[in-house]
Amino acid sequence: MNIQWIHVVYALLALGGLGAVFGLVLDIADKKFAVEVDERVTRVRAACAGANCGACGYPGCDGFAAAVVKGDAPVNGCTAGGAKTAAAIAEIMGVSAGSSEPRVARLLCQGAVGIAKERYHYDGYKSCQMASQMVGGPKMCPYSCIGLGDCMDVCKFDAIRIENGIAVFDENKCVACGMCEKTCPRHAIAVVPKDATVLVRCQNSDIGRPAVEACTHACIACKRCEKTCQYDAIHVSNGFASIDTSKCTRCGECAKVCPRGCITVIGGQVEVA
Amino acid sequence: MMKSFRGGVHPLPGLHQGKPLTDSKPVKPYVSEMVCIPLNMHIAAAPSKPIVKKGDRVLMGQVIAEAVGPRGIPVHASVSGTVKEVGNVQQLGARTSPCITIENDFQDEWVELHGLGNVENCDASAIIPAIQAAGICGMGGAGFPTHAKLTLPEGAKVDTIILNGAECETYLNADHRLMLENPVRVVDGLRAAMRATGVENGYIAIEDNKRDAIAAVTKAATGRKGVHVVTLKAKYPQGAEKQIIKAVTGREVPSGGLPMNAGCIVMNVGTAAAVAQAVIDGRPLVERITTVTGRVREPSNLLLRVGTIFLDAIGACGGYTVEEPGKIIAGGTMTGICAPNETISVTKTTGGIVVLNKQEATSMEESPCIRCSRCVEVCPMHLNPYKLKNLCDMNDLETARKNNIMDCILCSSCSYICPSRRWIMSSIKNAREIIAAQQKKGV
Repeated sequence: MNIQWIHVVYALLALGGLGAVFGLVLDIADKKFAVEVDERVTRVRAACAGANCGACGYPGCDGFAAAVVKGDAPVNGCTAGGAKTAAAIAEIMGVSAGSSEPRVARLLCQGAVGIAKERYHYDGYKSCQMASQMVGGPKMCPYSCIGLGDCMDVCKFDAIRIENGIAVFDENKCVACGMCEKTCPRHAIAVVPKDATVLVRCQNSDIGRPAVEACTHACIACKRCEKTCQYDAIHVSNGFASIDTSKCTRCGECAKVCPRGCITVIGGQVEVA
Repeated sequence: MMKSFRGGVHPLPGLHQGKPLTDSKPVKPYVSEMVCIPLNMHIAAAPSKPIVKKGDRVLMGQVIAEAVGPRGIPVHASVSGTVKEVGNVQQLGARTSPCITIENDFQDEWVELHGLGNVENCDASAIIPAIQAAGICGMGGAGFPTHAKLTLPEGAKVDTIILNGAECETYLNADHRLMLENPVRVVDGLRAAMRATGVENGYIAIEDNKRDAIAAVTKAATGRKGVHVVTLKAKYPQGAEKQIIKAVTGREVPSGGLPMNAGCIVMNVGTAAAVAQAVIDGRPLVERITTVTGRVREPSNLLLRVGTIFLDAIGACGGYTVEEPGKIIAGGTMTGICAPNETISVTKTTGGIVVLNKQEATSMEESPCIRCSRCVEVCPMHLNPYKLKNLCDMNDLETARKNNIMDCILCSSCSYICPSRRWIMSSIKNAREIIAAQQKKGV
């Protein structure tokens, strides 16, 4: 077969030439129109928890990373990532992370089925928001956890499940992003320091009979805890007791005197470093 | 030709409509031993402020709570007797409502009333103050204070008042019986509202399934200036504000607008009758017609005092026919609110009490959407209910808002027609509440 090699050479030359010209144009364009990206943004983005949960207050992890590098957001702003992420971001940014004590979301209600009395049987749309608007909610206590799982739906870390009519938190999975706290129509969830083990788990503002009738574990504002506390850490206001975690020594004396069992000690006494 | 709007549903007459149970029953007055009168029956920033205390003797029609704010209306004692309690009671709201409980002494002793006389000759500027003093709010369900509705803002161009006698809601016949038994009062009320606002055109719109009421009202309206009777096609939600404006005048209320933007004021016929009583006799709103129906021994239309407990009203109808009711609904079955027990009070807005048995009350299980688009066909607001439901379930409220979720009138036609029994209206209502809460917070 007679192959005319010259045709192959033409093709190679033509395509090679085109390639070289395009390459040159692209190279010039790359130099001329280069967008300067601070490489720290990419690294901060990689260090974030990456759930796009929005707990930092910025539109997703990308928004947060850009804000950190710009200096708008604190380096420990990624609550979902916790201390490790804060340290990693601080290293990238060349600053100290500061201390961010581990925090965790806890339910300030013990109104499970059988403890909080039922007002009516709710079989409507499965949403706490909806049920809370219906005649004071399905439970007698108008301050209780409704237990239809609005918090469970927004939790990106699978840390919440509904058991026996109330939300149960898995503290190993919880990153304290606070989405559940924002979502709960009853404001029954609080993000607290992880070592705040002594908690008043009731927010019933009613005093006396209405509170007693609503739930066997309702705070009746009797102030026994307030009288018992030697550290001025627990106070009754607005009809229920609440603890100032900075003053509380986690001694648990208040839990012992509470006649309604609404103060709980989680995991016994902890060592405060 | 009968007037109507696009969309809507026809609840099955035998199965779901429930009208024949009470449509031929004359209104019976009933007075209970005790009334518990909520002070937040109307839409306002704050409930009315109680001015009586425990142990006081009150006369019928006496002001027991005074108006708060420009939209506030006073509340009057609906019986004569002794005040038993002033305190918070759980009504249908999310939180307890301030209520005044009065024990009836059955004297029915009235306070002295001062009417303005004839609606055609009285001082037109005195009509709106008389309406406010009588404590009248919209009796169709929403409870918007009537004096605020009739007080037009500067520059508003309103040329039509429509009286809503459609009563498209299932089971209820309260407005039907009122138009049949007291048509002159209804027309008087319309004339009073027209004179107070200076509007020339008044329409009384009635669905064609109430032929007797149309005849009665037409007769009463003969010779009255500017009053027309319009026959509407019987369809749900014909009685919704925007739909009745479209049907009667052909105008559309703009998205997010008020009836005023279409040059209309819409009032319920019950409200009109109350307005007539307030203007002619100076009589405050202390009683209303309520249809008590469903699984009760004698379904009836009762003339109930405001504050009557549901249990007493049901007792006046012979009690339940079932051992334990499945649901008691305040209002009709399409838009009513489920009452958790029988201790709820009849308010100025309670048009009906419907008792359902367990089987009727059971919620249907949802199945997946089959894209049949029936919800789109029936939506009277021209929305895409199936799409909104999906967006709400995915928690994409921003897109839902762009798809005009806030224009939904919560008529639940979509949920009624859906062959997959999807809870479309519930999803939308829930999302709207969340959006409204966010807007309030300013997010």
